[in-house]
Amino acid sequence: MSDSLIQPLPREELRDVIDLALWSGQLLLQHGAEAQRVEETVHRLGTALGCNWMDIVVSPNGLFVSTISGEEFRTKVRRVVSLGVDMTKVSAINRLTRRVVEGELDRAQVRSELERIVSTPTHYPRWLVVLMVGLACAAFSQLMGGDWAVFGATFLAAGTGMAVRQRLSSHHFNGLLVVIATALVAGGLAALFVRYGTGESRQIALAASVLLLVPGVPLINAAEDLIQGHILIGLARGMTGALISLSIALGLWLAMRLVGVSGL
Amino acid sequence: MSVDPAILWLVGKDALWAGMAALGFAILFNVPVRALAACFVNGALGHALRSLLMHYGLGIEAATLAGAALIGFLGIASARLWKAPAPVFTIPGAITLVPGTFAFRTMLGLLQFAAATSSDAGGEILWNISFNATKTALILAAIAVGIATPTLLFDRRKPVV
Repeated sequence: MSDSLIQPLPREELRDVIDLALWSGQLLLQHGAEAQRVEETVHRLGTALGCNWMDIVVSPNGLFVSTISGEEFRTKVRRVVSLGVDMTKVSAINRLTRRVVEGELDRAQVRSELERIVSTPTHYPRWLVVLMVGLACAAFSQLMGGDWAVFGATFLAAGTGMAVRQRLSSHHFNGLLVVIATALVAGGLAALFVRYGTGESRQIALAASVLLLVPGVPLINAAEDLIQGHILIGLARGMTGALISLSIALGLWLAMRLVGVSGL
Repeated sequence: MSVDPAILWLVGKDALWAGMAALGFAILFNVPVRALAACFVNGALGHALRSLLMHYGLGIEAATLAGAALIGFLGIASARLWKAPAPVFTIPGAITLVPGTFAFRTMLGLLQFAAATSSDAGGEILWNISFNATKTALILAAIAVGIATPTLLFDRRKPVV
């Protein structure tokens, strides 16, 4: 389709388009999408809603978007803070974009869809997350070669840690502080098991119980962004991952010192 | 070539626990309910492949690359089947490969180095820090390249932006 078939959008409508495209990009960036996906999605949405071109710059703590239609253009910046991984939101934005590209939705419908996506609560209740994350860490202890006592201890330590993390996060403490406190609690319980428990492999509980905090998504996204040429956000995400790892180690180290065990 | 049943049993157990770990992280990441089973399978198969290759003597970095590539391909297939973007399926699976223990040891080493009392002890700690940091970085790179393999090889679109 050539550009001449598209009527240039008036400035008022450009404002609407940039708002919707930026909002979608913000949701992706906040909830753990890689930079390439954010750029492509914002571009597809904007052009599908009637612009000739979109320019997007993804930065570690914000999005810059320009919409261009005919002679007219508008630019908007939005600050973005990471809010934790939410694959349902990433998935929903992906589906929304596809429907817009296929011409199923107009701007008003996109807006109400975005409102619905933002206000949808998470699928899983908190207790289920605690249970499953505890089980995941306990499963890791099995992969590391632990016995059933280690499995049980890791499950309890990691589950308690996850509950503490949820509670602290809901009170809006600094993210790294939450990580240190969670590692202290989970690592402390695991260290008590190492000190007073029995079994050859019980040291494994220490590392396994804090795996729930591992910054897997920032680190994997960092590597992916760097490979795809998004150096700045890749470096920033790598730094985030390093700081989280350092905080975990700090909490774990404190726990080990308090209980009086050594070695990992 | 006959496969030792003992190895099959070990790999099967490995797959089961890795799948469990992937499922737990999928729930933490609020993966849509319809995608949970695929996350379990991806994590299980990716990690089991890594363990199997390491059992046959491959280094952890190369084995991780292979495991992550399998997760990448399964992710693309799952994305088509369940109509959701690939990261929904690849990220929980890839979490099972993340070198958490190497990363913790690096950072614990930094804290120990600050308290080192002699240059001999300090030297050994420094060696440990460098070793664990290198392992962490290489394994992470292997994961990222691995899960991007299908895109890098077969989906080379002209950039839209």
